[in-house]
Amino acid sequence: MAGELERYMDLLSARQKLVASNIANADTPGYQTQDIDFQSEFQNAMGAPQAAAVAGLPNKNDGNNVSIDRESRLLAENALRFQAASALLHSQIQQLRSAIKEGQS
Amino acid sequence: MSLFSALSIGSSGMAAQRARAELLVENLANAETTRTPEGGPYRRKDAVFESTPVGSPFSSVFGKELEAASGVVVASVVTDTRDPEKRYMPGHPDADANGYVAFPRVNPAEDMVDLMGAARGYEANVAAIGAVKDMIQHSIELLK
Amino acid sequence: MAPIPPISAPALVEPLQAAGGTGGGDFSQVFSSAIRSVEGANQDANASVQRFLTGEGEDLHSTILATTRAEMAFDLFLQTRNKVVSAYQEIMRMQL
Repeated sequence: MAGELERYMDLLSARQKLVASNIANADTPGYQTQDIDFQSEFQNAMGAPQAAAVAGLPNKNDGNNVSIDRESRLLAENALRFQAASALLHSQIQQLRSAIKEGQS
Repeated sequence: MSLFSALSIGSSGMAAQRARAELLVENLANAETTRTPEGGPYRRKDAVFESTPVGSPFSSVFGKELEAASGVVVASVVTDTRDPEKRYMPGHPDADANGYVAFPRVNPAEDMVDLMGAARGYEANVAAIGAVKDMIQHSIELLK
Repeated sequence: MAPIPPISAPALVEPLQAAGGTGGGDFSQVFSSAIRSVEGANQDANASVQRFLTGEGEDLHSTILATTRAEMAFDLFLQTRNKVVSAYQEIMRMQL
């Protein structure tokens, strides 16, 4: 269902925005890493995703818990998944366009 | 949810890390400066980072964006107010009556490590902007 | 990270199926529902473009998909109409 792919891309965008935020604030005192619960948001299929603090990340001296390793990994992963979903969606669109044009004869 | 505001976030990160790096470079360059126009030895400076809410430059409405995402800004520059380090150097032109010279409290090793941290932070923000830009590009390709 | 959930066979626009899938039912009904789909898709697309332009946090890909759906709904409607018109013309020729 293309709706699922679009929802997937919506969530990846939201997630990537939080990754960007975490990276920008990697040295901000007291800042806590933010993320969305991808699986449950995807099951929901509707509504704006909720951001929440991530559990299990240790605090540094200044109260900041951003792990550049984690954010870099997510940055790459989100980008690749987005690209994959976009390619799948693109091919679905192409197929439908062909199907419509087929009817021209 | 808009990726465009993620670009603003990334660029705010770059600007903040660059400002931080510039202050660290100034500290390192002045680690031994005993005389300044304001009088007294150089006093080291630190950048204080703070999260800042973000909206894209085209945005008319803040509230719709994912609220937890935020950029960063150098909220203030803090100048060291501690007493300067005194070293006994009687022949020094800036020595006081007792032969002591006031030196800045700069730890070059520490600031070098911080400078590397600022450089890494800068690069990480550059990478974030690159990845977001690619995603926007792929969205556009859906039209082709 | 959990695996991507499986995605079933593509069906980009549900209204398109409804409008184009009937094999010879009531033509006027087919037309009405096709026109409604096109109008609906158009409204959604315009709204999405508006939100994108005013910077209200609309994702670019959502806007692109909305405008693509509108475009395809219209294309399908055009093809359907052409089919109907040529079928009608053929029938008219037969009666002469």
